[in-house]
Amino acid sequence: MSTERADAGTGAALLRDTVVALSERAPAVVAAAAEQLRGIRLGLSFNDGTAASLTPRRGRLVVGAGRADAADVEVVFDDRAMNLLFDLQCRPVDQVLPGSLDVRGAPEQVLAVWRAFTLLSQRGSGLRFVQRLWEEYRRRSPGLWGAVPAGGGTADVPEATGWTALDYLNRRRPAPAAPGGAAPDWSPATAPRLLWDGRAAAPWWEELPLTDADLVETMRVCRDRVAGEMRRLIPDREPRRDLYDLMRAYPARQGKGLRPTLTVAACVAFGGRAQDAVRSAAALELFHNGFLVHDDIADESTHRRGLPTLQVAHGAGLAVNVGDGLNLLAVDALLSNLTTLGLARTLGLIRETLHMCRESVEGQAMELGWIRHGEVPADDTSYLTMSTKKTGWYTCISPCRIGAVCAGVTDPAVLDRFDEAFRLIGIAFQIQDDVLNLVGDEVLYGKEALGDLWEGKRTVMLIHLLRTVPDPEERALLRKIVLRPRHEQNDADVRVVLRSMHRHGCVDYAVALADDLAARGIAHFERDLDVVPENQGKAVLRQIAHYVTSRPL
Amino acid sequence: MTRAVVDERSLGPAGPFPAGVPGGLRGGPLERQWLHYAFLSRGGDLAVIANLSVLGADGADEPPHRRGIVLVHDEGGGWEASQFNASQQDVPWSSFRLPRPRGAERFTVAAVAGSPALDVRLRGTGRACTSQCAPFGDGEFLRWQSEPGVLGSGVVTAHGRAREVELTGYHERVRGRWSWPALGGWVFGFVNAAHDAPGCAVVDAEPAPPSASVVFTLVQPRSPGDAANGSLMLWRDGRLVRHFPRRCLEVAVEGGLDRDSVVLVPPLAELLDAPVCAMVPGRLVLSARMGRDHLLVDFTSRAAARIANPCERGLRPFSVHETLGPCRVRGVVSGRPVAFDTRGIVEFAGGADEY
Repeated sequence: MSTERADAGTGAALLRDTVVALSERAPAVVAAAAEQLRGIRLGLSFNDGTAASLTPRRGRLVVGAGRADAADVEVVFDDRAMNLLFDLQCRPVDQVLPGSLDVRGAPEQVLAVWRAFTLLSQRGSGLRFVQRLWEEYRRRSPGLWGAVPAGGGTADVPEATGWTALDYLNRRRPAPAAPGGAAPDWSPATAPRLLWDGRAAAPWWEELPLTDADLVETMRVCRDRVAGEMRRLIPDREPRRDLYDLMRAYPARQGKGLRPTLTVAACVAFGGRAQDAVRSAAALELFHNGFLVHDDIADESTHRRGLPTLQVAHGAGLAVNVGDGLNLLAVDALLSNLTTLGLARTLGLIRETLHMCRESVEGQAMELGWIRHGEVPADDTSYLTMSTKKTGWYTCISPCRIGAVCAGVTDPAVLDRFDEAFRLIGIAFQIQDDVLNLVGDEVLYGKEALGDLWEGKRTVMLIHLLRTVPDPEERALLRKIVLRPRHEQNDADVRVVLRSMHRHGCVDYAVALADDLAARGIAHFERDLDVVPENQGKAVLRQIAHYVTSRPL
Repeated sequence: MTRAVVDERSLGPAGPFPAGVPGGLRGGPLERQWLHYAFLSRGGDLAVIANLSVLGADGADEPPHRRGIVLVHDEGGGWEASQFNASQQDVPWSSFRLPRPRGAERFTVAAVAGSPALDVRLRGTGRACTSQCAPFGDGEFLRWQSEPGVLGSGVVTAHGRAREVELTGYHERVRGRWSWPALGGWVFGFVNAAHDAPGCAVVDAEPAPPSASVVFTLVQPRSPGDAANGSLMLWRDGRLVRHFPRRCLEVAVEGGLDRDSVVLVPPLAELLDAPVCAMVPGRLVLSARMGRDHLLVDFTSRAAARIANPCERGLRPFSVHETLGPCRVRGVVSGRPVAFDTRGIVEFAGGADEY
């Protein structure tokens, strides 16, 4: 049951909700605004008496409650200024009434703040989820625009006035019925767009301008589409109970949809049709699920995506067989591209997939070998190599390359352009995943809390801990605990390791390392992939690149 | 008294409007005068559009070019259009050379083949407004005068069938000098609130104008970058009561009209090298706000005729899409609400990759 927060409807709440939503669903927008602010701390006051602070931190925007203690720039809004901010079109001097938007600070910082607001406004206001937040705010605080009629947000608002054109189009679907009740002869397939905003024109006949994708929605659509394809690929025949039903059940524990989205987006970025990449994305997911089943057996994991692992629920024997079966179906799915994509692309897909599998099993071998032989790498380099092989390839690099192959790109020089950017982003993603295992909410995270510590997984935090603990006795004790097999582990000792990690700054170190890797990955993305024209597919890839930096930790 | 000879380009567009030039247009083939007429029948099942143009003479001793086209759309038969050689009066209704007509006067335009044809008596019920001047390109410009609320009564022939109709519509006088590549394109349209006066009494007593009319324009020249211009105007009872300038205007589109609903005209246009046209927007929304006044126009495309105009400077035609559909107008102006649902005609011009 959802409960309304005490400050709902206030300016401060609107700011917080907007930044949180953008961070989750359009992180590239937040990263770009944070880049403009560059360490400037903002104190924001609203005429409803609420206040908030806004601080850029490593590509994120952090909203604090209440008045800022030492703000570099103070901004005071009234309702009119809030509305203006959302519909930002003109220079403030042209539109803002005296006193409605008061920005104080050093001139260059004030300009930076205005650039950041402009950027958030221009790119955020095109996103449906942001519009919903602001429409709700307008409804509560009519201000400049007048109250939205009761029933706003439904398909038909009978007497809507005072809207901006784009806002109105976004709220009014479908169009009012034509006289006589006949169905409209036009397709609403293209999103509403501005031809004229009071200052700049876009010809009505030109292609749609690019907009920032709603990443959550995009990932959901890709995930669901690929999940449907996977269900279709798994046979509906005996033996159901001990094989095919289990195969079907495991992928049903849906993840975020990162890989399907990368595959489809890369295909679209190179001019392909999204549909062309769905079968291959499904094959990747089948491989992935097969690996996960085997990985959970090897790691003795108890939970996966919030539910007991397959070997816990059905025994290791059946689980191994299900994993094998999923891998087999994945090969079958790849081969079935022959009839739709042709021989050259299918061979390219097989080649890419084999490479991915090889990297994954090599990475898995490195990690399992460390555990088998009681080793903990002395530095981060070994970890980075292992992580690249084990997860970097199948999580990020291969989905992109496979998507591009689906679009007909087979030139290795072009495909290699994904590697460094998504290698770094993939490692950053993995480190953040490991951090979440220590500090995240199990319900949200979906995996067993502290499971990595129970398994003695060689994470950046663990490697850093054993490298930096100065006291030899403490280090020996920690080493003894972490090298213990899972079934000999106990909760008290796991808590000892966790406390040591916090005490020695291991989590902060890992977060900083992930941020650094992500930043480098984003830089590579912009540089290496400049051959890809700006299009919707590339926009989604960019959002994913920034998604890593904006995950809540 | 003689007028000083000046380079018009140094002073910008010539005025005042409409300064008819004795002896015809002498500014070259890009000099243009257009008379535009667009009407909808009271029942909403018939649309009539006519455009009569005078194009500048090619040489000093040559006469200007006169052209005319008439289009009719009825719900049953769809579009029918003349070629560009439609028969027209020597002095059409509301000619540039005449003062604004008083009372009802005859207006005829017809395809050489006889259908479509328009033979009606027209009567203005409101005040025309010199809308705007749009300078662009290298000394080119476009200026026009809008007059909604024009009533008509007479005979319209479409698909070979003549019928008596009552019309409510719009008239425009356009003058300027422009070339198609430089002009780029435009979005223009009008709507009149439903006008119920039976027989519209165009001959007898002064008829009442529509209770409200809206005319809007967005001109999108290719250059310079800041040449785009637009406006939205509201008439009440025949009088212009609010002009929202471009800074107060927002224009947005959504979706696209089914290509099967877009018909290429005139019939000979199929012989031209007409490139694939852009998708006609399925829905057009304009919002305007100025002070406490605000107005919203929500137009939905239902059918369109793509007029392929020959270009004076190249082989490829320029496209004007005459689009019909229902329209909703809502707003508050001078503290009074504006609310009516009607049918409108919108032009989407440009957008066929001509150049």
